[in-house]
Amino acid sequence: MKSSERTEEQVVQELNAEERVFLKRVLEIERAKLHVSAYDATDDLLAVVKEILP
Amino acid sequence: MRLHSITLNNFRQFKGEQRFDLSSDSIKPVTLLFGANGAGKTTFLNAFTWALYGTLSQDMEQQQRLVTDSVWRSTPMGDSAEVSVEVVFEHEAQHFRALRRARVRKESDHQSPASPEVALWTTNADGSSEIVHAPQEKILSILPRSISRFFFFNGERIEKLVEKSAYSEVQQDIKVLLDLQQVERALDHLPKLDRKLTADIRKHGGDKASEIQAAIDAFRERESTHMQDLKILESDLATLNDEREKVTELLRQHSTFAPVQQQRDAVTEQLALNRRALEMTLKERANLVATRGFLAFTDDLGEATSAMAESLYQRGALPAPLKREFVDQLLAEGRCICGTALADHTEPWKHVTEWRQRAGLQAVETAWQRLRGQIEPMTAARVDLRDLLGQIVKRIGELRSLVSRLEETKSELDGKLRNSRLDDVQALESKRIDLDNRHGEKQRRIGALTAELQRIDKDIEQKTKERKNAEVTDELAAKARARSDMVQNVRKALSEILEIRSERMRRRLDAELKQVYKSITYKNYIPTLSEGFELSLHTDVDGVQLPVGKSTGENQILSLSFVAAVSKLARELRQERRAEGEPPEDAGTYPIVMDAAFGSLDQNYQEAVARALAQMAPQLVVLVSKSQGLGKVVAELNPYVSHLGVIEAHSSLSSTTEEDIELRGNAYPYIRHAETDYAQLKEIK
Repeated sequence: MKSSERTEEQVVQELNAEERVFLKRVLEIERAKLHVSAYDATDDLLAVVKEILP
Repeated sequence: MRLHSITLNNFRQFKGEQRFDLSSDSIKPVTLLFGANGAGKTTFLNAFTWALYGTLSQDMEQQQRLVTDSVWRSTPMGDSAEVSVEVVFEHEAQHFRALRRARVRKESDHQSPASPEVALWTTNADGSSEIVHAPQEKILSILPRSISRFFFFNGERIEKLVEKSAYSEVQQDIKVLLDLQQVERALDHLPKLDRKLTADIRKHGGDKASEIQAAIDAFRERESTHMQDLKILESDLATLNDEREKVTELLRQHSTFAPVQQQRDAVTEQLALNRRALEMTLKERANLVATRGFLAFTDDLGEATSAMAESLYQRGALPAPLKREFVDQLLAEGRCICGTALADHTEPWKHVTEWRQRAGLQAVETAWQRLRGQIEPMTAARVDLRDLLGQIVKRIGELRSLVSRLEETKSELDGKLRNSRLDDVQALESKRIDLDNRHGEKQRRIGALTAELQRIDKDIEQKTKERKNAEVTDELAAKARARSDMVQNVRKALSEILEIRSERMRRRLDAELKQVYKSITYKNYIPTLSEGFELSLHTDVDGVQLPVGKSTGENQILSLSFVAAVSKLARELRQERRAEGEPPEDAGTYPIVMDAAFGSLDQNYQEAVARALAQMAPQLVVLVSKSQGLGKVVAELNPYVSHLGVIEAHSSLSSTTEEDIELRGNAYPYIRHAETDYAQLKEIK
């Protein structure tokens, strides 16, 4: 995985629609909980996965 | 983060409640506060870090004396005195109010250490206030403590920022600032999620899919163990690096052996450069041989081809006297060039058909001509290749002998230090060698682990593909597989995003730093931020980069340049469109609060640094004394100042000479006599 020539936008574009939504939600969740070092994201992320792929 | 105001209450010499407005905009981002020596500039700077993190800088003496002395004296024994600092700020479109306070119970004339508590509120869009339940953690996520040293600092001690030992820590925290930490956290959390999702495949996926899933799980297990080991090794490596640097620094400062160490530094640097150049030249040679090496063997081939063509010409076979295409045309038209009709299977038809076998093909002739045309340029290319190879081989020879000379010089210098008769030098050198060996060993292990992780990554990818094709009849298992595939793909994308962001960030920070540094200094020094986030300073002597021994002044300029570059880049990076979607308007904005802002810099440097910071920092609070600030600094900063203030020093000393400060054409109290000692914040409108 050599990314020197690739851009973040390219990486995002290569994902399908569901994956893009999931990526955005994952980062939103992680960012909102950055201050809680003991945070276990599994359940929140699982809920998002089930919402995107019911 | 944009500061709106600070309110101090009985905090050190700031008696009673004192508020200072700090709100500013992008046109006038500067708050300039004047204060005499001892008036409370350092305390004012510390009020921010105390409110946010509960710490005071090491240069603050008598740290337990938080409550203003006169307030403490007037507090009856058994009662409590309150001390607090409130900072109101805005971060990514949210308003926050951070309040740290302590109640100190008076049991003697001396203050005992206080236990301050922090509280944090956020204001919602409808104006309602909400308490943040993990206040300290939230503050740390907005601005990590070690990063705060970039934004709240004492100019006179800022050179400590660029000490090598500061960097391993800073590298980690800079990730938050530049938006990398949430990506790392997501990469930590997604495998757990995947494990939960794939439980259904293991249970109901059928023989094949379950088996594949079990194999993936085993790989993941190994991956996670290796990742943990890698983190430990990397931190060990950083520690060893710091220790080695400290030992080398001691040798650099040694009264007798400093010149030897300096010479060794220069030789080591040159050796590394030339080894790199040799490696590149060897690669260049390999590349040349791989792409054009065949030309060397075409000498006979060219000659043989020429001879063959020549003989064909001599025999009249080339150019072909009769073209097959022409005969075909006669046969198709049914008439010979002499006018005889060529009816199928007649005697004249048979005769012309026989010509066809003897005639040459146009395409073959063209090919021959082309081939002939290539023989000559091939000879030229062969000569060119020989020349080029000759040059490269010469360069390799020169570099090899240079490397070997430098290795000898270095060994000689190593020997001088190792066999020194001075015990301390010998001990330091032994320690350095030992650290060097341990460092090398850790590096090798990191290399091996990284390679193993790459292999596991490929294996997982392969197994995931196999899983995709495996037959799954159970509906739950099929759903789990689709979900896991989505998580896997996003995880892969995130690790690539992390790589892209980290490398881009370092390169841009390096470029920014070079530019800022160049705008400040008149010297031909070039700062470099390495892949390991280490800052070094070089000078270019006839194309060779040599390390520069940095003086305190140079380190201060380097630090200030770094601060300005980090501040600018944090904003730029966060403003860009990224996987998270549109960023908030003030994303990546952080204030800079500087005490003794320009330290001991020369006047011309003060001017350049003031200009660079005023232009680059989105918000700047500068604390200066009359002597530091009234010259060129004020002239440079004045167009950008939104709040101008004085920390009035009040002294109980009867012999105090009262002093004023002249600002914007008016005189304001600077030092005053009073019954008690305290500081008073005054804004000048």
